[in-house]
Amino acid sequence: MKIITSWLAGAALALIAGMSSAASTGNTIATVDPEADRLALQAYFQKRFPEVELADYGNGIYALDAASRAQWEELEEFPPYEFDIEEGEELFNTPFANGKSYADCFENGGIGVRQNFPYWSEQQDQVVTLELAINQCRTANGEKKLGWKKGKIAQISAYMAFTSAGELIDIKVPNDKAKAAYLDGKAQFYSRRGQLNMSCANCHLQGVNIPIRADRTGPTLGHVTHFPVFRSKWGALGTLHRRYGGCQNNVRGTALKAQGEEYRNLEFFMSYMSNGLAVNGPGSRK
Amino acid sequence: MRKNIRIKHALLGLLLAGATTLASASDAEQIAKGKSLFMNKKKGNCIACHMINDPDANLPGMQGPPIVAMQARFPDINILRAQIWDATVRNPNTIMPPFGRHWILSEDEIDAVVAYIYQY
Amino acid sequence: MNKYLPLVAALVLSSSTVAAQSFEDVFNAQRALHGNGHAFTFEGEQYTTDHPEELEAAAPANATNAKALIASAKAMHAEVKAVGYDWTLTKGILKNASKALKAGDFQKAMNLAAQAKYHARMGVAQYHNSKQSWLNMVPE
Repeated sequence: MKIITSWLAGAALALIAGMSSAASTGNTIATVDPEADRLALQAYFQKRFPEVELADYGNGIYALDAASRAQWEELEEFPPYEFDIEEGEELFNTPFANGKSYADCFENGGIGVRQNFPYWSEQQDQVVTLELAINQCRTANGEKKLGWKKGKIAQISAYMAFTSAGELIDIKVPNDKAKAAYLDGKAQFYSRRGQLNMSCANCHLQGVNIPIRADRTGPTLGHVTHFPVFRSKWGALGTLHRRYGGCQNNVRGTALKAQGEEYRNLEFFMSYMSNGLAVNGPGSRK
Repeated sequence: MRKNIRIKHALLGLLLAGATTLASASDAEQIAKGKSLFMNKKKGNCIACHMINDPDANLPGMQGPPIVAMQARFPDINILRAQIWDATVRNPNTIMPPFGRHWILSEDEIDAVVAYIYQY
Repeated sequence: MNKYLPLVAALVLSSSTVAAQSFEDVFNAQRALHGNGHAFTFEGEQYTTDHPEELEAAAPANATNAKALIASAKAMHAEVKAVGYDWTLTKGILKNASKALKAGDFQKAMNLAAQAKYHARMGVAQYHNSKQSWLNMVPE
């Protein structure tokens, strides 16, 4: 009997939890409201960490955890990504075989534009990330694609982010097709995956700043601002989609393709959530 | 249910006069196995999220509730087992992986973890 | 008073859901409590808490049965990969099953194939579940 009553209680709780949160969030093209989602996410974090300034969320876990912040600030005194920015600048300015260069592919010559990526491209009918645009620029000019996760593409992306430091993330969802991509990214963020059955939200919303052994997971608000990132664990620079793949493997799910539609839509959603926060990439993390 | 608890307690070395040495020996083994699963990153890795008052538990996480007063919190040991098997039944939003439903641990391994943590 | 209304509604709803529990719910609840090999009844019929894949692995251990189980596990694995919900360890478990088959350890091959097939089936279930359950995690 005891079992049945506790199951009943569990089921009741489940239904309450389900009813209260599901009612207010959009899950169809007609009801999804990116701006409402963004404000709800901000409110969630501000309620939970009232002492933390909104602008500080670009510093990830270090905005919340004073102990690890000191170590990180020490690390940032001699930034491990400095060399990569220099390399990136050189790559960015080296002309292609046809005489053109990256500057010809981007608005404002590619300087100070990071905050507008990813964007919904009407023409291509898909979300275009900065890395995708970099490789499209190469193929349009007869060059080979770069690998998506690390190396040159990360260095070029790092330089472009660096020239955009302080610009505020400004992602737009201009029409229903863009909304569908946004909604797909949103659903992905909250969907459980892998044998460990975890969603992005389990660690980067619910579980934020709570120790997992000696580590603490960072908040998803401000998550994208510091990419590409120099991770001590990698000993190198890597792109956001490299990190997505690592995260998915950590929950024992087979990683999806870097720059595939799923990850690009996820980046679209996550970047919209960080609208209004300043670009501060490249960054460094454990 | 009641009967089940008594049996488990007996296995904990309180009764079973005839097979005392055998039962307690295999029970100690079971607990040792459970402990190693609790600590092992590639197996249970329970320590990633749960504090436990075991001197060998180095830097436990705090995502889940601490492993304390288990017999008081779970008078029915099978309910504890079920919680490890699939914690989403009681809390659909839990971060805890469903160790049984997703066959992360085998049924025997779950029993061993239960035996280990039920001491705390 | 209004505050309690959802609670009452939830309790009423939940008792009806309990009454209409699916076989899968009852099976999982029984397996969770008692592990495998435990007998229970559902709508008057007797069952045990063994996964269908485990029952397949309980067939006589021989090359034919091992090959068949590995083949059906691979088919289920292809299904979960197609929806993008594949788990990382499944591929290795399948590989070990084939190795055991080659080495003539048919029981081991069948046990591993059963686990891989179960994992793949759960991955497909996870894909379907996520379509409803993701909404629960969104903050208000």
